[in-house]
Amino acid sequence: MRHALALLVLLVTWFSAARASAGQVVVWHAYREAEERALDKLLDEFRAAHPGAVVESLAVPYGAYASKLEAAIPHGHGPDVFIDAHERLADFRDRGLVAPLPLSVIDRTAFDEKLLPPLELDGKLYALPIALKCLGLYLRGDATPASLDALPSLAYEAANAYAHAPLLHAFGGKMIEGDRYAFADGPAEQSLSWVAAAVAKGKIPEEASEALILQMFSAGTVNAAISGPWFAADLPRDLAYRVVPIPPVTPGGNKPRPFLTIEGAMLAPKPRDPELAGELLKFLVAPSSAIVRAREGRQVVATRAAWTDAAVASDPFLRGFADAAAEAIPMPTSVAMRAAWEPTTRAIQKVLRGDVTPRAAMAEAARRYADVTRPLPPRADPRFALFLVGLIALFGAFAAVRAARDPQFVREVKGSVSAYAYVTHAVIVVTLLVGVPLIIGAATSFFAGRSGDLHYVGLANYWDILRARGGPLLASGSFYAVLAVTILWTVCNVVLHLVIGVALALLLSRPALRLRGIYRVLLIVPWAVPSYVSALAWKGMFHRQLGAVNAVLRAIGVEPVAWFSKFATAFAANVATNVWLGFPFMMVVTLGALAAVPREVLEAAEVDGATKWQRFWLVTFPLLRPTLAPAVVLGAVWTFNMFNVVFLVSGGEPDGRTEILVSEAYRWAFNRQAQYGYASAYAVLIFLLLVLATRLLRAQKAAA
Amino acid sequence: MAAVSIRQIKKTYPGTGLTILKGIDLTIPDGSLTVLVGPSGCGKSTLLRTLAGLEKPDSGEVRIGDRDVTTLEPRDRDIAMVFQSYALYPHLTVRENLAFGLKLRGTPQADIDARIAEVAPQLKLDELLERLPRALSGGQRQRVAMGRAIVRRPSLFLFDEPLSNLDAALRGEVRVEIRRLHEKLGATMVYVTHDQVEAMTLADQLVVLNGGVIEQAGPPLEVYGKPKTRFVASFLGMPPMNFIDATIEGRVARAPGLSVQLPKSFDVRDVTIGIRPQDVRPNEEAALDLRFELVEGLGFESHVHGRLGDDGAPFIARLEGDEGRKIPKWGKLGLSVSPTDVHVFDRATGRALS
Ligand SMILES: Nc1ncnc2c1ncn2[C@@H]1O[C@H](COP(=O)(O)OP(=O)(O)OP(=O)(O)O)[C@@H](O)[C@H]1O
Ligand SMILES: [Mg+2]
Repeated sequence: MRHALALLVLLVTWFSAARASAGQVVVWHAYREAEERALDKLLDEFRAAHPGAVVESLAVPYGAYASKLEAAIPHGHGPDVFIDAHERLADFRDRGLVAPLPLSVIDRTAFDEKLLPPLELDGKLYALPIALKCLGLYLRGDATPASLDALPSLAYEAANAYAHAPLLHAFGGKMIEGDRYAFADGPAEQSLSWVAAAVAKGKIPEEASEALILQMFSAGTVNAAISGPWFAADLPRDLAYRVVPIPPVTPGGNKPRPFLTIEGAMLAPKPRDPELAGELLKFLVAPSSAIVRAREGRQVVATRAAWTDAAVASDPFLRGFADAAAEAIPMPTSVAMRAAWEPTTRAIQKVLRGDVTPRAAMAEAARRYADVTRPLPPRADPRFALFLVGLIALFGAFAAVRAARDPQFVREVKGSVSAYAYVTHAVIVVTLLVGVPLIIGAATSFFAGRSGDLHYVGLANYWDILRARGGPLLASGSFYAVLAVTILWTVCNVVLHLVIGVALALLLSRPALRLRGIYRVLLIVPWAVPSYVSALAWKGMFHRQLGAVNAVLRAIGVEPVAWFSKFATAFAANVATNVWLGFPFMMVVTLGALAAVPREVLEAAEVDGATKWQRFWLVTFPLLRPTLAPAVVLGAVWTFNMFNVVFLVSGGEPDGRTEILVSEAYRWAFNRQAQYGYASAYAVLIFLLLVLATRLLRAQKAAA
Repeated sequence: MAAVSIRQIKKTYPGTGLTILKGIDLTIPDGSLTVLVGPSGCGKSTLLRTLAGLEKPDSGEVRIGDRDVTTLEPRDRDIAMVFQSYALYPHLTVRENLAFGLKLRGTPQADIDARIAEVAPQLKLDELLERLPRALSGGQRQRVAMGRAIVRRPSLFLFDEPLSNLDAALRGEVRVEIRRLHEKLGATMVYVTHDQVEAMTLADQLVVLNGGVIEQAGPPLEVYGKPKTRFVASFLGMPPMNFIDATIEGRVARAPGLSVQLPKSFDVRDVTIGIRPQDVRPNEEAALDLRFELVEGLGFESHVHGRLGDDGAPFIARLEGDEGRKIPKWGKLGLSVSPTDVHVFDRATGRALS
């Protein structure tokens, strides 16, 4: 008793200590290297200026940033101040992750007036601008080109909508206009034609990734590259280069204005110590801090006064990006903008591959955009569902009561209480890790809307999926088309896994084979390497210009293949990767099963007159079957849900046609407006399909 | 049906460096049942598998009938083999097991059915045809394995210890069955066993192998009655032959507690003489002076264990009925033996002297 009391007192004091964290401020950011070092230095200064205050900082990986914020802030263990791009502000505001800044910290005159509106929502300022990020032109050599046309070669991610935006703007086009998708008019077409022609001429590399551009620019293969400030961090230290705003397409033409991202310092609702958090915000954008960030963090800082510092103002890199930012268009934060990226990128890719005319690609993009931004299903009456849930609960309760009344049952339970005790922890763990997410996921599929603003829609998500959102049932991207691809994908893979795995196992099990142990280990290696590493390696090998596969083809005199431009080749690339990843499993299973095939039975067959092939087909294989059957079912389920390979190798290209059900569900959840309900409905359908398939298989096996 | 001839077969398993067969020469007459016996590891199975083609000899020649089959695959040799583990196809029914070899050879289905219908009753398999091997007893499996060989009507049957997984009673029964089948089919058979009862009862020709060489080959009674080596003499007979190191003086062999007449004189002095336990008779003359140690009574006979003389060689005598029981402990027993029943071996080489 006394112990319990002591514990209680301890807990209470501990809790209150944790609550009353006066003089504490927590900062989150996604910076690395120089930017992180500069920020740390500033925080040290801040600590020195505020003795007694606890200032904590946490670097969160960029990919996980938003979800971490979303998970932490509502539960009170997130940051008080965090730094993120302005595009996410509206989203954060909707989820209650940011608070308007108190007037006391705002000094509007400190920044360019163009920078503040993007940080405002409903007339209130939600962030102080920290740094500016946009695309600029990296140049080697001294000459500054008057126009893009004047450049002999230029590297940039031509197929990426973000990188295409400056060109689009230069031709007078727009990505969106209010809520309307505007990548559909003459200027857009002109911009596409210009890039397509440049790629066709070999002036711009096709399928250029950030890594490729880096490599080409460092090696001097190209003397001009379009990228953002982040590009500089990976360039060789001794490389001489300059940054200038992107020049017009033709001399004297429109300025190609890139999109501008404004990194802002934001304030979480209910900061631990509002005053201290406000102090910190002010401190971060103060001119002296901005100079540190500019000089040491290489940031294009937003604080105007920092540019009076001679070192900052004369730095050609900072200057170049500052000039570029001055012309840049702040990225719209609307839902429309976020929905526009995927269709636009796809359209550009298609045009660059020469599959379609710009006009057709734009029409398709508009259709996709409409598809993704289609209005949410209407609210449905939840009463029937509630009634159903209630009914089930009632039945459950009724059954429980009846069981509890049954003396026999009670006796049995009492008799095995200790047994239940042994499995309790396992039941709890499985419930928490498997059961609860499953139920939450399934429940989500009955809702629509953005998280924080969900509404019940009944079976509308399922209905939408099953009637292909009103479009033609077999149109690319419809549930049925994707399902057909998924089934083809599963069958191709499992058959190849099986054939290759069994064949290799047979080879390896020959006693005459020398160095068997070494081969065995080598062949299991693909299995041991993390699948995403292999998948990325394979993606690299299938690169049109630099991939090993095309290099081999070229060596034997075959035209290089643009692997991801056609369904058949992209699908084949995916299958090749997944076969590479998957055959060792079948091989190992087969090796185990082969060891259990009695040698004398094979010899009996040999004496009975069987050839090698007949021995395999009539004896070995039937004896392997009982072991292989479960492995095949497992392999089929894994392959059906093999997200890694499809996502990383083809990424759905061309045009989303190699997407399988899981990766399609992923796109709905994470690339298209966070339509979690819709994605969950996909997931539930996948689950039901797999349950059904295994059921059928088992029934068939029982019948046989 | 075919005769088999084996010439100078040598075999070394790769990687072991041990020569398992050291030059085997053997002729197996057409229609005979030849039994290979020998201690474990002497190379019986290896020789049989060489006949089957499952092992390729390093040198030498195997002929079946008038064909040189040395380099042929098993399936081209027209042979059938019954394995010690039976090696039935676990996933096929008894009927399919029987039909397997015929199907592979493209025998018409009607023919297959007819042959199975003929063989199944002989082996009492009629009721079992639709079962899988795992639903059969050991004896039934053994019969299926035999049936699988018989339906094929090969020119040569090979059996590798086909009875060793059966219990004693069943073994006796099947042994008789095999002999009967052999008589009926008139087929050439080679049969490996390490059971001397099987060897003696089944064989037309008995071949004793030891350490990869043939010690003796011939009709079983001849091998039993006139063993050419001490090894053959010791290998056949139950209880085994007694061996006593002795010296010859004229036509008498002497050793402690022993002094026996020989059928003729020898020019070697140091010999080992062999006397089978059943060839001695209690007799006052006492050519052998047995110091009794213990007795194993089997009812119809008894085996008396003792030593010759005060501390001479160990000796076993087989007596009719219950006689042995009557001997007092540590008593003496005089035994006599006919000179023709005394086997004389060169002590150094182990070869029989004659
Ligand atoms: N595949 C093999 N590889 C290497 N050595 C082998 C192989 N098969 C058999 N041997 C060796 O060859 C020798 C003869 O083997 P074999 O099987 O012919 O003996 P066996 O006379 O049939 O004996 P048992 O009565 O025990 O069956 C043994 O020493 C054995 O270890
Ligand atoms: Mg053997």
